[in-house]
Amino acid sequence: MVKYSYVGKDVPRLDAIEKVTGTALYTGDLRFPGMLHTKLLKSPYAHAKIKKIDTSEAEKLPGVRAVLTGEEAPYRFGIYMSDKTILAIDKVRHVGEPVVAVAADTEEIAEQAVELIKVEYEELPAVFDVRKAMEEGSPLVHENLSEYKHAPFVYPKPGKNIANHFKLRKGDVERGFREADVVIENEFYQPQVQNVQMETHTSIGQWLQNGQINVWTSAQSPFAVRHLLGVGLGVPLHRINVVVPYIGGGFGGKAGLHWEPLVVLLSKKAGGRPVKLVMTREEQFYTTAVRQGFYGRIKTGVKRDGKITAMEILYLWDAGAYADYGVNITRAAGYSCTGPYEIPNIKCDSITVYTNHPYGTAYRGFGHPEFHFATERQMDLVAREIGMDPVEFRLKNAAVPGRITATGEKLREDAGRVDECIKAVAEAIGWGKKEPKQVGGKLRGRGIAALWKAPAMPSFTSSSAILKLNEDGSVTLSISSTEMGQGTPTALAQIVAEELQMPIEKIKVVTKRETDFGPYSWQTVASRGLFMEGNATLDAAKNLKEQVKATAAELLGVPKEKLVVAEEKVFVPGQPDKSLPLASLATAGIFPDGRGIGGPVLGYGMYTAEGLTNLDPETGQGLPALMWTFGAQGAEVEVDPETGDVRVLKMASAFDIGKTINPTIVKGQIYGGIVQGIGSAFMEEFIFDQKGKLLNSNLTDYKICRAQDIPDEFVFIPIENPQLNAPHGARGVGEHPRISIEPAIANAIYDAVGVDLFEIPMSREKVWLGLKRKGERK
Amino acid sequence: MSRHKISLRVNGQRYELEVEANRTLLQTIREDLEMTGTKCACERGDCGLCTVMVDGVPTKSCLVLAVEADGKEITTIEGLMKGEELNPVQRAFIEHGAVQCGFCTPAFIVAATALLKRNPKPSEEEVKEAIGGILCRCTGYRQIIDAILDASKSGK
Amino acid sequence: MIPKFDYFRPKTTEELVDLLAKYGEDAKMFAGGTDLFVLMRDRLIRPKYVIDLKGIEELHEFSYDEKRGLRIGATVTLNELLESDVVKERFGVLWSAAGALADPTIRNRGTLVGNICNASPAADTAPALLVLDAEVEVAGKGGERTIPIRDFFIGVKRTSLKPEEFVKAVRIPNPPAGAKGGYYKWGRTRGEDLAVVGVAALVVNSGKRIVRVALSSVFKTPLRVPEVEKVFEEEGPLDEQIERAVSAVQEKIAPITDVRSSKEYRIHMAGVLTRRALKELFGGS
Repeated sequence: MVKYSYVGKDVPRLDAIEKVTGTALYTGDLRFPGMLHTKLLKSPYAHAKIKKIDTSEAEKLPGVRAVLTGEEAPYRFGIYMSDKTILAIDKVRHVGEPVVAVAADTEEIAEQAVELIKVEYEELPAVFDVRKAMEEGSPLVHENLSEYKHAPFVYPKPGKNIANHFKLRKGDVERGFREADVVIENEFYQPQVQNVQMETHTSIGQWLQNGQINVWTSAQSPFAVRHLLGVGLGVPLHRINVVVPYIGGGFGGKAGLHWEPLVVLLSKKAGGRPVKLVMTREEQFYTTAVRQGFYGRIKTGVKRDGKITAMEILYLWDAGAYADYGVNITRAAGYSCTGPYEIPNIKCDSITVYTNHPYGTAYRGFGHPEFHFATERQMDLVAREIGMDPVEFRLKNAAVPGRITATGEKLREDAGRVDECIKAVAEAIGWGKKEPKQVGGKLRGRGIAALWKAPAMPSFTSSSAILKLNEDGSVTLSISSTEMGQGTPTALAQIVAEELQMPIEKIKVVTKRETDFGPYSWQTVASRGLFMEGNATLDAAKNLKEQVKATAAELLGVPKEKLVVAEEKVFVPGQPDKSLPLASLATAGIFPDGRGIGGPVLGYGMYTAEGLTNLDPETGQGLPALMWTFGAQGAEVEVDPETGDVRVLKMASAFDIGKTINPTIVKGQIYGGIVQGIGSAFMEEFIFDQKGKLLNSNLTDYKICRAQDIPDEFVFIPIENPQLNAPHGARGVGEHPRISIEPAIANAIYDAVGVDLFEIPMSREKVWLGLKRKGERK
Repeated sequence: MSRHKISLRVNGQRYELEVEANRTLLQTIREDLEMTGTKCACERGDCGLCTVMVDGVPTKSCLVLAVEADGKEITTIEGLMKGEELNPVQRAFIEHGAVQCGFCTPAFIVAATALLKRNPKPSEEEVKEAIGGILCRCTGYRQIIDAILDASKSGK
Repeated sequence: MIPKFDYFRPKTTEELVDLLAKYGEDAKMFAGGTDLFVLMRDRLIRPKYVIDLKGIEELHEFSYDEKRGLRIGATVTLNELLESDVVKERFGVLWSAAGALADPTIRNRGTLVGNICNASPAADTAPALLVLDAEVEVAGKGGERTIPIRDFFIGVKRTSLKPEEFVKAVRIPNPPAGAKGGYYKWGRTRGEDLAVVGVAALVVNSGKRIVRVALSSVFKTPLRVPEVEKVFEEEGPLDEQIERAVSAVQEKIAPITDVRSSKEYRIHMAGVLTRRALKELFGGS
């Protein structure tokens, strides 16, 4: 057993004092001399031709400095599918899409100017349902799909509303169904929802006359913003500096590029003045990106002994008007499509569908919360059909080390154990115990759902870290993975402290991310930060030690190999005279006669995802997963049969996180993820009118959990089977707590009242309706 | 539009300002006084991130006009430290991991500080009620509630 | 951002009367602003003049008289009501409704009079005032008048106030001796929400049974259901009467479907809450 000094300890978050005193700065808190404010004219139609735009009155208004239309911004942006311009050109594709942007001295003037702009539209037939959008003759959302640039692993179907069709074929699915004793098919549905970060999308942009572009933005990934902005605008990257201060929540919705090009282009038109855009809450709902809607159909073949023989899966994703991120969610859900089980024969089609809804993007879990609702409900429905206990059924098919995943990957021995997670959760909720079902007219039930997820990213993404030794022996860690609440920088400081055996107080992690100075990191997404930045940071700390030892060896006249770095010193153990403080080596080592040696110590470290491959375009076979984090969720609920109210008495969660770096921060991720899941389980949903206008675009009408809505009890069971190529064995767990909440609760509701739910949210009304229909059937 | 001279105290300091009628107290705090710890996230009283104390009473400052604050004593997150010392709620938030992205943190700390002044030993239900008007998307509230209960135990 | 307007803060009711006479329909009054500023910010209304009532001392009067009952001035906040022992002990239905409205931070600003002047069908305090037979004291250029609360609400967000009139106070007579009451609110969630349905009930169970029921969010206005009262005018088994009361409520209401609930669920829940309210209020005596 390794004895840890800093890893595994409850080190307080590095950013905590700034945040509890209100001094932490977010993009919206920044102001610059001459700064202008942006307001948007947005489409009232879901699908319409733009016939004419008249901005003349707006331009005359005193204080208006720039009015920008789509024609003046003919650039397509995107990370996986460049299908979006920053303002609508020729036509609008969803209600709330920006058509004209105004930058003015004050928000008030900008808003007045927007009211003076006249746009003539010609309404076009619109499509809102993914299945209708797939039919022949459906209105086309993108006529020029064939012209859009996209990543090589994306397969659009020009002439149709399909932005990506991911195919997975393993074994022989027809044979699998023939071998089955029972075949069961079900359909599942989820509406679009929103990330609802407390900080709305906020950006400040400046395009100076010398060609330099400066951006301050609430983005998860500064280097992705720089890259996509540069490629989109055709500007060399060294001319772009992206700064990211603290972020008020991201949850995937601030990954990639969002509104940065708009403020930059407005600034250019306004002669280089900085331009700020703060999305209103309403715009956050219908103008910026949302989580895609989901339709799933699953057919499962199973033997009476509980072995699954085949799965045929169709996932349709309601990407809305633009599918940049949606195409990769489709792919990630496609290669993980079965959930954490070994299934010998699989046919899966996961399809990104354009509609005239607001456009989709990443949201914590990246498609996995959606499809796990389908797969984990289906597991219970199948188990019931063959009369098997749902826990036993899951264990029988569990993807444990050595078994083969949907893409043909043989799970490594240190891959983590879903079976241990399932067992731990079952025990925590008293699975199988006879307890009173009825308590004061209410009915109790228990449900379980398992899960898995790997970071969804291209096969070759990388991260780097710079560790600077300061003149007093303290160190400064520079990384470009952002701090949006998840706490990774604190965990990285613990990793540095452990590696250098140095007090945590002597370690600083830079708080601001800036592409001009910071080391490269692909993105802060996908629960990859701790693993990838962690490995890069370890590498940087080792590199720093090497540099220190090389100089110290010369100064002390000892072989480098004998030296150890700890307690802010470099020394030979057991030889008190062979020791130097790190501080004495920071800028250069000094011989007794005054000669200098070495130089400023700057540790560099990097990590590139190892062993991943492209997936076969026809079969989806290959190696997509850097690490799988496995888990299970258990719910104990109490249903009021009269009202449909469901109270969550207990949520028990287990994740194989390999190694806990900071228990309090991990718990925060678990509780927070669960409560977001409870929001979508019970209350969150986009409700549209027939014309595609969002009816609940504020936080009065669109509910998220408040303090009273949380479970009565949380139980978290960390499982720690270390992954050998991870820093101290630790896997990511940022997204996972948010996955499989909905199916665990739905399975518990069935256990309590015998009502099967196939749609979320499982609102009080929908549970009541289910009970009513069940009563009528009797 | 009418303009109004107001005089108010914020975190113990006196300010004399002239504000337009439609300026909210939140805008005045953030933009005129440049105290940005108080956040804006919905502008319509749903999220509570703009909570400040007005004469000691927690108030959503996006729904208060600046002109109404004339003669009032305002306390924001910037005014809660006692000299160099964090207040007990701030300390408990750090200890319990009640802080994640931090965007809602000032509002919860202001509301909790006001609660403990009025009700030094609240029950869990009373804590939930007192913070029920403030939204957090990161923490799931559990660690926030625990922090407030713990701060109440540690007393002043 | 709230659109531009001129702000007035009169010090006397006379000044207020003059302002309203001058600006009438272009003016809006507020005390807490928790409804008004949201409507303005959402651009649903754009008054040119906004009048702050908090400068008028007399509108903050909050008094209780053994004979005449409670009088709640226009600028008395909901939390001030909630802190009153008299309200809690003798006007339990109002106390429970005030405590169910929004969240405590909003209630520090929001007022009872504001809640009824906003006249949302979902107004939480309105059903309580309806079962308490409250009266609204109104003043304006034409002098003063009293509007019984049952005549105050005339449509969605519409009251019988004339543009140049304002509400001075709400007067609530003492409830019948031995009365108990409560407001039973149903939202989409456990946390703060607007009412899917709210039921205010007032019950006297000593000697002759007296029952009054009024609801929110099930009609174009807050609605009292006199048919329920008739059910209890004759003697009969309690359970049977309660079921008849439930039917009377469900027949009378005419809810709509909106983002919070379908019409059907509202009808169902109006019944459930009425039954629960009456059982609890009768059972506890």
